[in-house]
Amino acid sequence: MRRITSFARRALLATTLVATAAAGQTAPPIPAWGGALQPQDRDERGLWMMSSDDEAVLKDSRFLITDKPLNDYVRGVLCRTVGAERCGAVRLYIMRVPAFNASMSPNGMMQLWSGALLRMRTEAELAAVLGHEFAHYERRHSLAGFKQARAATDAAIWASFIPIAGLALSLGALQGFFLYNQAQEKEADLNGFSFVMQGGYRTGAFADVWERLIAEEDAGRVARGQKARGGRRSGFFATHPASAERMTYLRALARQAGDTADASTASHRAGLGPWYARFLDDQLKLNDFGGTEWLLADFARTEGWTGALLAARGDLYRLRGQAGDMAQAAGFYREALAKGHDDPETRRGLGLALLRQGQQAEGQAMLKAYLDLRPDANDAAMLRMMAGLPPKTATGPTT
Amino acid sequence: MIRSLLISATLAATLAVATPALAANRLIVPNVSVAVAKSAMMVTADREWNKLGARPGPLAESWTLDGDVLNRLSFYGGLINGATLFREVDRKNRPLPKVRADMLPTDIPALFEQSYRIAENSGLFSVDSIEPASIGGASGVRFTYSFSKQGEDVARKGEAVAAMVGGKLWLISFEAPTLHYFDAGITSARAIMASVRLPAK
Repeated sequence: MRRITSFARRALLATTLVATAAAGQTAPPIPAWGGALQPQDRDERGLWMMSSDDEAVLKDSRFLITDKPLNDYVRGVLCRTVGAERCGAVRLYIMRVPAFNASMSPNGMMQLWSGALLRMRTEAELAAVLGHEFAHYERRHSLAGFKQARAATDAAIWASFIPIAGLALSLGALQGFFLYNQAQEKEADLNGFSFVMQGGYRTGAFADVWERLIAEEDAGRVARGQKARGGRRSGFFATHPASAERMTYLRALARQAGDTADASTASHRAGLGPWYARFLDDQLKLNDFGGTEWLLADFARTEGWTGALLAARGDLYRLRGQAGDMAQAAGFYREALAKGHDDPETRRGLGLALLRQGQQAEGQAMLKAYLDLRPDANDAAMLRMMAGLPPKTATGPTT
Repeated sequence: MIRSLLISATLAATLAVATPALAANRLIVPNVSVAVAKSAMMVTADREWNKLGARPGPLAESWTLDGDVLNRLSFYGGLINGATLFREVDRKNRPLPKVRADMLPTDIPALFEQSYRIAENSGLFSVDSIEPASIGGASGVRFTYSFSKQGEDVARKGEAVAAMVGGKLWLISFEAPTLHYFDAGITSARAIMASVRLPAK
């Protein structure tokens, strides 16, 4: 029964996608799975050996997130997307790096960076990124291209759109990164698209990812006094498909496919759990005011301006600290409190924003309120002094 | 000594971080007050240190005992409004946060953290404590921190003292791998921090 269903689904996929002429692209049917890949020649064995070395480093990395619920969530999405058999070939590594990137090495090691998880709004978008990476792996793209590469990664493709990602092209021993050519990228897009469809996810998610990466990049550029690029050319090499072009053909494919499936927005946020706030905090500390402001607004489009998002926006303005920023920050913190946001850090932020504006009494009162809630905060000694309170211990502060 | 050198060499090789050797390093002799960070900040060392030729920023200077990946004492001398802690690594795409003349004591570790996250790829950076302290008679802040650099994966610890004086930032930080080197160097680093004299406003 399962076999028939699967066959029927494939046939349906084939017929549905054969004629997506809108952008001259079609998503191919998913081929039969021949089991986890094995190296087949000397070059490939070499590539595997280097990948294994990299993986050994990754396993012990302090940047590796081993939290089981988060890993279970991402693996669950991957398995639903590519199917249980293919999923078994993947070893997943979620890394705490605040940049948009995902990659897969020829030996089955998949890396997903926390900056990518933060930027996905839905499970479907996560499925699109994971499906795309898996397609590179299954099509052996890393071998077909530059053989000196140590890991097949989409760093240049995914990440060139996010300015902060420039910092993060290598992790562990992964010094080299692989640049796929244009044809391979399209192939991975189309195969990945088929996976997303097989998984029963909203296929428009693929184009959504590109659209938002373009918008975020432009927001960051404009805030830094540069011109918006509108995704018209890829960040690294003109030989790669421009993001605008990819967005267009992926959007056309999605329209053709009907695109009615579930995007699973709520489940994505639930899947991130407490990590959402941590990844957001990492982002706030990157001094990418324009990009982060855009991201927060983007989250607000999905979930509304929640207290948490308002408090984060307050932090963003306070950290920049330009003229007028403190008044803005105080406003956002107050809105967050008015919405019942009960994270004590909001009071700390508000107190500091008020003090920076010279509103001494009000700022000190707010810091006292914070210290009542967090008497053991790691900066309590400093804040007590700033709040006009006496030192807490008999020994007093270090001088 | 040989063993220590060997360990240093091995660690340095393992970390694959080269010390920029553009300018010559110089010996800092003990018990002599010296001006640091191209500024009027004066400090006195209690033992021999090596001044690195490479500066983290225009108004900064670093010293080391065993090599800059193993222990690094850095001085930042009077950064004005709009200055950055380090030299920009990628001004166009990843600009560093700027010193503001009206920064509060708690804003200093925040600026420090952001600068490290950007310039040093220290995605795992945490400020672990912040407390009042005096630096050269000015009322300021002492903070401790820990971090790892991406692609290196060594656990590092640091401690710094800093103050805003007349709208300028003065800061001294010591950092080293948590394993052995931090504890081995912090006593001398603290003595130097305690010896600091800042110019009058």
